[in-house]
Amino acid sequence: MSKRQLAMVMDLNKCIGCQTCTVACKTQWTNRNGREYMYWNNVETYPGDGYPKKWMELGGGFDAAGDLQPGIVPNIESDYGVPWDYNYDSLAEQNLIAGGMTPGLHPDTTPTWGPNWDEDQGDGDFPNDNYFFYLPRICNHCSNPGCLSACPRDAIFKREEDGVVLVDLDRCQGYRYCIAGCPYKKIYFNPKISKSEKCILCFPRIEQGLPPACAQQCVGRIRFVGFLDDEESQVYKLVHKYKVALPLRPDYGTQPNVYYVPPTEAPPKFDSEGKIIEGSNRIPIEELEKLFGPAVHDAIKTIKAEKEKRKKTGESELMDILIAYQHSDMFRLDNHYYQEVAKAKGMKPLAPVDERYIQGKHTKISHFKVHS
Amino acid sequence: MKKIVQISAALSLAASALLAETVLAVKVDTDLSGFKCKDEAVKLAKFTEVALYPQTTIKLNDKKANELNSANKAKRVQVAALYDGKNIALILRWPDKTRTVQQGYKSDVYGDGFAVQFATKFDEPEKLPYIGMGSDGRPVVIYLQKAVAKVYEPNADGVVGYQVNPHNTNRFGEDLEKFEKRVEQLAIRDYQKAFVSEGFRSMTEIKDKSAKYSADMHYVDAKKMWGGAVVRPLKDEYANLDKGAIPVALAVWDGEKLQRDGQKYLSGWIAVKLVGKTGGNRLAEVVNEKAKGDVAKGKELSMQNCASCHKFPGSSAPEYMAPDLSNIGGQATAAYIRESIVDPNAVVVPGYNRNSHPNFQWYMTDDKGNRTSTMPPFDYLDKQSIEDIVAFMQTLKAEVEK
Repeated sequence: MSKRQLAMVMDLNKCIGCQTCTVACKTQWTNRNGREYMYWNNVETYPGDGYPKKWMELGGGFDAAGDLQPGIVPNIESDYGVPWDYNYDSLAEQNLIAGGMTPGLHPDTTPTWGPNWDEDQGDGDFPNDNYFFYLPRICNHCSNPGCLSACPRDAIFKREEDGVVLVDLDRCQGYRYCIAGCPYKKIYFNPKISKSEKCILCFPRIEQGLPPACAQQCVGRIRFVGFLDDEESQVYKLVHKYKVALPLRPDYGTQPNVYYVPPTEAPPKFDSEGKIIEGSNRIPIEELEKLFGPAVHDAIKTIKAEKEKRKKTGESELMDILIAYQHSDMFRLDNHYYQEVAKAKGMKPLAPVDERYIQGKHTKISHFKVHS
Repeated sequence: MKKIVQISAALSLAASALLAETVLAVKVDTDLSGFKCKDEAVKLAKFTEVALYPQTTIKLNDKKANELNSANKAKRVQVAALYDGKNIALILRWPDKTRTVQQGYKSDVYGDGFAVQFATKFDEPEKLPYIGMGSDGRPVVIYLQKAVAKVYEPNADGVVGYQVNPHNTNRFGEDLEKFEKRVEQLAIRDYQKAFVSEGFRSMTEIKDKSAKYSADMHYVDAKKMWGGAVVRPLKDEYANLDKGAIPVALAVWDGEKLQRDGQKYLSGWIAVKLVGKTGGNRLAEVVNEKAKGDVAKGKELSMQNCASCHKFPGSSAPEYMAPDLSNIGGQATAAYIRESIVDPNAVVVPGYNRNSHPNFQWYMTDDKGNRTSTMPPFDYLDKQSIEDIVAFMQTLKAEVEK
């Protein structure tokens, strides 16, 4: 367990599925070098099979007794979808009159799956009770990470100062047990360097006091970032004070540190004659309970009550937070904190990257410290 | 029925005695430093058959791999050794119906591979390192070769300009071809690594060029077999092998069964006798020792004393409450089993990941911060009872694949 824990809250009522976060992350970290297929951040449409395909059925996580569960390592072609390219090279040579091939721009492979393959598909009968919502997902930087528990090489570590979970690329031997062990399948295998890679919560940015790229770029302002023990942070208020932000699939036993404000508002359903069913809600509560656990009932109740309170009195701290008037208020990263950590550890202040991430913390055997 | 069991136990002992012979390292005049499996010198090698048993001590969490490996038998591997006065070459041949290479843009493909492990201290052969990657104070040095297609590993070279996806380079036609050739040139050609290790998870790659070695691996389609060789100096800062006999352990991985890391076939310590050098008899005796105990009595005693925590045929222990002993007879020496019964703290393997099974802690930390085994010492058992248990434990091993 780390001394402090950095956390993110995502308000699903505000996510519009624009994938700006996805692109921000992709261009910052994973657009090259065996990472082409990786989406450390992806936004999937729920209900749907997601990315990788059917990730919730691929095992990992812990059972009620706390034992790590076996899982499956997804396949790039069938479960992630090979990132396809286009026939740019042959475009110039295409003979539109005599050429055998169909002229024009085509994918260079037949795509079968991708990071948002089931976009906006949803569930239910249109127009009666169909529904969907967007679920942005990153590594949850769990307090009890399945990936860390599964690694036989001690190559995954959780930073003491902020609980960010990182892969020590020096120690990683590409066994991929971490992928099987993560129930969210948010750790990826880089086939070109034969090592595992994952969301680093933009720690080089965070150490400079900047929010992660996905959070900074989010046009819907759905993402809050802060320390869970910082009572001034909006993250603390959403998670601990109002208890409206809940972890995804808490039943996996990993104690995730990315929290979601569940979607509370959806249009009412129509009956067989096309009339509105009063008081109905298209998003089945069972689905939300599956994703966020039984606490979702109270969370929704709280949000609705605060909304009413706002209507009546014009005041509600929770509504003020969720509306996010000032983007900067959503992030409380305490830049000074990292400087203090660096000073205490004798590190260069604000190192651009965590040295263990690239060099390995145990390069020599004499440095190897067993975690008891 | 009892008689049949005894006969079959006797037969399996006879078969394993045949398989556990000492390997003779033949002295050659040629320089072995660049030795490859196809070299002429291989004709001088004397091959001995040893059995490699499925590693079952710990549980790894790959569901598909666990299913594919659940019914594994032991694998016969032919081993030989050559030495030239400066270097020693270990040569392996093992059957594998499928040539599996980790290649291309794949996330769930694993390559076949092999490893040769040397103990760095073996003056006291009764205290050889724990077979699965050594243990605290008893380090091993391991040479690994995997069937991995060329991969571009920029982290090793730091050539950032070539880390770019070819389609992001503004290169077309011939220019792009040149770019891709350059990437190919920068690729890691062979997956060979040397490690030092003092137990699970402590395995650390030797990257500072202090280990001089080479490895070679090739598949013979006609025979459906892999051949492999590891050459290293007789003496370096990790081990002095310039002795009458040295302990060596072998592992092979079958990529088809998604094997990697702990999911593998593993031998016990094998004595490799350097022909022409004196000494080493004690080592050969210890690694080939068959305990002189009563197997039937040993089974009874094991059921009373060991079966509530350790898994082996007939025991009722929950999975991985303690190390699974199903193949202990194929992988541990009699001396090691004896030591573990009397003094479980003698070998405390560091780094067993207690996070994965917090309910079954194999180790505890004492007041002084030392890790101790959860298993109590069974030193109150009389000598004969211990020998009986050891004799029974030595029968615990998977059948050898024909």
